[in-house]
Amino acid sequence: MRYVSGGEIESLDPPITNSQPDARILIALFDGLVEYHPKTMEPIPGIAESWETSSDGTEYLFHLRRNAKFSNGDPITASDFVYSFRRGFAPELASRNAYLGYYIKYSEAYNSDKSFVKDSSGRFLLKKDLEEKNGDEQVVGPPAATLAESDFSRFLDSPERFTVPSDEKERTKLTDKDLKLKAALAGKEFVPVKAEDIGVEAVDDYTLRIKLYQPAPFFLGLLAHQFFRVVPHKVIEQWGNDWTRLEHIVTSGAFKLSVHRPYDVLIVTRDPNNWDAANVKLDSIEFYPLDEQTTMMNLYKAGSVDALYNHTVPAAWFEQIRPFQAEYSLQPEIACEFYVMNVKKKPMDDLKVRQAFALAVDRGALAKFRKTIKPLIDMTPEGIFPKYEEARTKVYTEELKKKGSTLDEWKARVFDAEKARKLLTDAGFAVTKTGDGYECPSFPIDKVNITYNTAESNKAVAEFIQAQWKQNLGITVPLKNMEFRTFLPLLNKVDYEGFARRGWVGDYMDPYTFLSLYYSENNEGATGWWDPKFDKMLDNANNTTDPQKRLEILAQAEFYIMQQQIIIPLGTNTTSWMKKPYVKGMYPNPGTLHPWKFVYIERDPSKWTADMETIMKDEDPAVNVPLKALMATQEQMETSKATPPVAPQ
Amino acid sequence: MLSFILRRLLIIVPMALLVVTLTWGLIRIAPGTFYSSEKKLPPAIEENIKKKYGLDKPWYQQYGLMMYNVVRLDFGDSLKYPGQTVNEIIWRHLPYSATIGLLAYVLALVFGLTFGIIAALKQNSLWDYGSMALAMLGLSVPNFVLGPILVLGFALGIYWFPPARWGTVANLVLPVITLSAIYAAYIARLTRAGMLEVMRSDYIRTARAKGLDEKTVLLKHALRGGIIPVVSFTGPALAALLAGTVVVERVFAIPGLGNIFIQSVLNRDEPLTLGIVAFLSILIMVFNLIVDISYGFLDPRIRYE
Repeated sequence: MRYVSGGEIESLDPPITNSQPDARILIALFDGLVEYHPKTMEPIPGIAESWETSSDGTEYLFHLRRNAKFSNGDPITASDFVYSFRRGFAPELASRNAYLGYYIKYSEAYNSDKSFVKDSSGRFLLKKDLEEKNGDEQVVGPPAATLAESDFSRFLDSPERFTVPSDEKERTKLTDKDLKLKAALAGKEFVPVKAEDIGVEAVDDYTLRIKLYQPAPFFLGLLAHQFFRVVPHKVIEQWGNDWTRLEHIVTSGAFKLSVHRPYDVLIVTRDPNNWDAANVKLDSIEFYPLDEQTTMMNLYKAGSVDALYNHTVPAAWFEQIRPFQAEYSLQPEIACEFYVMNVKKKPMDDLKVRQAFALAVDRGALAKFRKTIKPLIDMTPEGIFPKYEEARTKVYTEELKKKGSTLDEWKARVFDAEKARKLLTDAGFAVTKTGDGYECPSFPIDKVNITYNTAESNKAVAEFIQAQWKQNLGITVPLKNMEFRTFLPLLNKVDYEGFARRGWVGDYMDPYTFLSLYYSENNEGATGWWDPKFDKMLDNANNTTDPQKRLEILAQAEFYIMQQQIIIPLGTNTTSWMKKPYVKGMYPNPGTLHPWKFVYIERDPSKWTADMETIMKDEDPAVNVPLKALMATQEQMETSKATPPVAPQ
Repeated sequence: MLSFILRRLLIIVPMALLVVTLTWGLIRIAPGTFYSSEKKLPPAIEENIKKKYGLDKPWYQQYGLMMYNVVRLDFGDSLKYPGQTVNEIIWRHLPYSATIGLLAYVLALVFGLTFGIIAALKQNSLWDYGSMALAMLGLSVPNFVLGPILVLGFALGIYWFPPARWGTVANLVLPVITLSAIYAAYIARLTRAGMLEVMRSDYIRTARAKGLDEKTVLLKHALRGGIIPVVSFTGPALAALLAGTVVVERVFAIPGLGNIFIQSVLNRDEPLTLGIVAFLSILIMVFNLIVDISYGFLDPRIRYE
């Protein structure tokens, strides 16, 4: 199997790197508690053959397989996971992914070098001691039934301790601002949060406990990320930073490293020590670190590679690849493209202006023009979370009825130039008709522009939207392109004017990964917008145990934030990659991350992939049988738990 | 002669340090960091990264440390590829670039000199116009056009050579041709101009007048003077070729230094960029020195005292 994987891998140390090309290689080399489902990317059993969740959703107990081994034959036990997690959060490792695990109790405190506060009697200051009593009634659930009690679990279940920065300077900065805090800290002892305080525990050799601050229903899906995959303790202790070198590296996945020539090729071969080796079909995979599209297409046409990674076929090549149409995948992806608006600066601080600009873009036409995106009107990508979309339709219909509107009307928001002009006029920028177009002389054109990072596709979209606004509003918004790393700080500081291009790739299979972009004051949304009410809605959703109800609350939150029109959704990205028909077990899943053990080369042409368009509906026994066997252990666990003792309400 | 070489060698040191300092300043002015991505990092994680790489120290300390490293020719670890040292990366990827670079230059010399000399000797003939038209074409077709055209013809049309990647001798053919085209064209034009000028000079008339046969006149007298412009061009050209040519490396997926250099700048991988810049500047200065020395052998009028 020869696969073009994207840019050169940064590091073979799983927690270090956060790029997609690296993830594609690392999931072959390292196993985690759970694995991605090859079609849906939902979590399926990995080294954990089953798991239980506590009734309040804050605690997980994983039951590990007894036959999991590292590539050197050492067994993988719960303590290896404890080590891997603690290492990932170690401030000295400086992992860029650590934030993914911040839901785990005290992991953030340890990662950001904080301390507990202890008074002279040995009592620790608790978070709730300092919280102001506000009008809202705190939702207090029933005390959680702990799954397997231990001293450590009692510590984790006790009320959350308050933490402050260990660094005295940082602490003084805080206490100077907050006198109440200063008083509370006076004369106290500061005990640094240690790796051992993090909410992960090896209950026994094959049972792992993970404790979260609050319920996070998507957490299980996150665990398939390379950050949470298991690394060899002994080898890392022995070789330090050099442990990832070919001569030292020990892996835990279905494949092990056999060749690494940077910028040329990385070859992995099947690891006979892997617990699932019997189901691993490929003998080896060659990963080619290429990102030049013409080059990889040439190699593909010449038959020198078998499959490409996502976004490798630009829209301009659609005519060229027509002969290979059945090998081309154009499924929706867990990623979307949108323009953010700077709500802190005039004139975009006016909701009507924002709505006007959003309405004046014909997104259907944009999708037709771009070919590799599907039109998007909301925040979460379309066609990725079917259950959520169901809930959303229901919620939106209800909400709109309250406003005396209908869903169809709401969907028409995709494009309504007439209404856009009216809104802009209402906002004080009169749009008038001239000859064959419109003009809006009062609009401060010098205060806005479309800022985007240099890329052919971004430029095409910006020009398209510029033309739309000129045609529909009579406003020619200037374009401003920037090199990527110059553009980023501008975005992070919300320092652009008017509009900026953004793309967002979800971290896990849950709409929360898109909605949480605008969560908290210091959010990543890059719009300058923040609303505690929205935060509260998201919190409520995650505290809801009924999955369908939770999705409905999330949909309400999305409805709420869409009313603010802080972004202009443009499109849901599509996979846009190719594979040869003889490559099987490889599906255009939402993140283009392929669990490699399901992939194989089919020699019999009658069993080849007939068309990528319908590949998701293919029932391939070579994939389904092992998949079903894998999932059986967890299903068993769930059925045995189906009638739990009812907790008193 | 020896003192001249020594003087020049000594100048290389401060020059290289100056180049490195300027590069360091430019990298620092450029916005963005090696760890920035579409996803904004929580401040605590940013702090951890800064602490790990000493970016929390005042700038003069960072500069001092950087200079100390440069003087010892140890550039430390790459930021983008943690666990790999800059020196290791440079020495690992130089051979790829050097191989295609040297081959391309030899090819360019063979074709350039041949066509240049023929054009000069048969001035204003069909030979002359033909080779100069070819040279013009070579100069004006950029290699990012030539490369894909060659691939289209020889790799995807008739399956003579692989379209990309490193491996067998067959893999070298297309990139070497692509790379050499522009140099061959340039050398042909330089040779023609140089030869034409020399052929009209007095000492050639003298050589002929004293009855030397045309072959000796050409090879022993005319060529030595005529290719001096080519030799001057060789210094920087060879340095550029050895250190890689980005476009060809990208089109043909060759793991050479040029691509890594460009990527290091885009990635804001400071140690790697500095290491390659220092290496390149020293290489260029050394090649220039060699070129200057070779003048003395080629042209009897030039002597170093």
